[in-house]
Amino acid sequence: MSTLIIIDQPPYGSWDGREALDMAFSLAAFDQPVSLLFCGAGVNWLRKGQDAAKVQQKSIERNLAAAPIFGVEVLLADSDACGRYGLAETDLLEHAIITDFGPELTARFDHVAFAG
Amino acid sequence: MSSSLSEQTKTPAAAGVFTLVITGAPYSSQAPQTALQFAHAVLAAGKRIDRVFLYGDGVHLASSLSAPPSDELNLSEAWAGFLTENRIPGVACIASALRRGLVNEPEMQRYELPASNLRAPFEIAGLGEWVDSATSESRVLYFHKGG
Amino acid sequence: MIALKTLHILNKPPEHSRFSLCLAAIGPEDGLLLTENGTLAVTQRLAINQERCFALAPDLEARGLTSHIGSEQAVSFEEMVGLAASAANVISW
Repeated sequence: MSTLIIIDQPPYGSWDGREALDMAFSLAAFDQPVSLLFCGAGVNWLRKGQDAAKVQQKSIERNLAAAPIFGVEVLLADSDACGRYGLAETDLLEHAIITDFGPELTARFDHVAFAG
Repeated sequence: MSSSLSEQTKTPAAAGVFTLVITGAPYSSQAPQTALQFAHAVLAAGKRIDRVFLYGDGVHLASSLSAPPSDELNLSEAWAGFLTENRIPGVACIASALRRGLVNEPEMQRYELPASNLRAPFEIAGLGEWVDSATSESRVLYFHKGG
Repeated sequence: MIALKTLHILNKPPEHSRFSLCLAAIGPEDGLLLTENGTLAVTQRLAINQERCFALAPDLEARGLTSHIGSEQAVSFEEMVGLAASAANVISW
């Protein structure tokens, strides 16, 4: 039973994405197949070079970079959103794969969910 | 409107168990109200709810301290009553709850907080409860804040 | 009742970014159920087969939108349970 967790909100402006990551990591901790899809403004989670110290938050870059080690199968980034936010493949965290969003993508998973 | 027997034999069996995840807070969203009406309809259809899981801002539904005007539906009270009457577990995710100030007695003591405010019959637990539902035969519906 | 592959439940109004995201994910055998402020979309022409587009009647009534949709498309909570139970999958947007 494979799950896709979708993040469409950008980081630091709210905790929605962090709570989505918690869902993904929990599934991985229980050895359940899970993938993460970033779309809309959510693709900004994958931008290299984030330093959130001065807004008194933890940068999520390290968490996301470690996602494959924790068992998250793949980090997907919607190509349209990457284009809108000026993110080329080289601007994205390592392991992130640019993909096209559509019914074929969501149909690959038994369970598709947002955190909020 | 219920499926006729012939429809049920042609297509995969309809789901008999639901899990409701509420991530929208009362009054900031319609989520708890929509979820409650859906929950009543699930039981009326002869189906089961294995648990109701509160996540993110949804944990506010489990507060014992909400006091809306008397001519408004008290959502926390209505949910507590529904869960109790139908013996359905209601769980608030511990990480979401602690961040937002929803605490039960053990957590109040652990963090030396001045009060606890978790409304019975809600309990506090981890995401493992959600994983349990998400990986079971249950059909999981999420009630998020709208827009 | 029409057999749905995926039932998409959408409670966002058309301006919300997740509204167009949801529409982009709807396949030819899927269905769309508009709820809460999502019911406002019945005033617009959506590129979806009308037979597979539903809206929650209580939310339509609250917003004065009942005349904008055919009676087969306006569903009760009981019918929402039926749609959600009989679809092969459900995505809550």
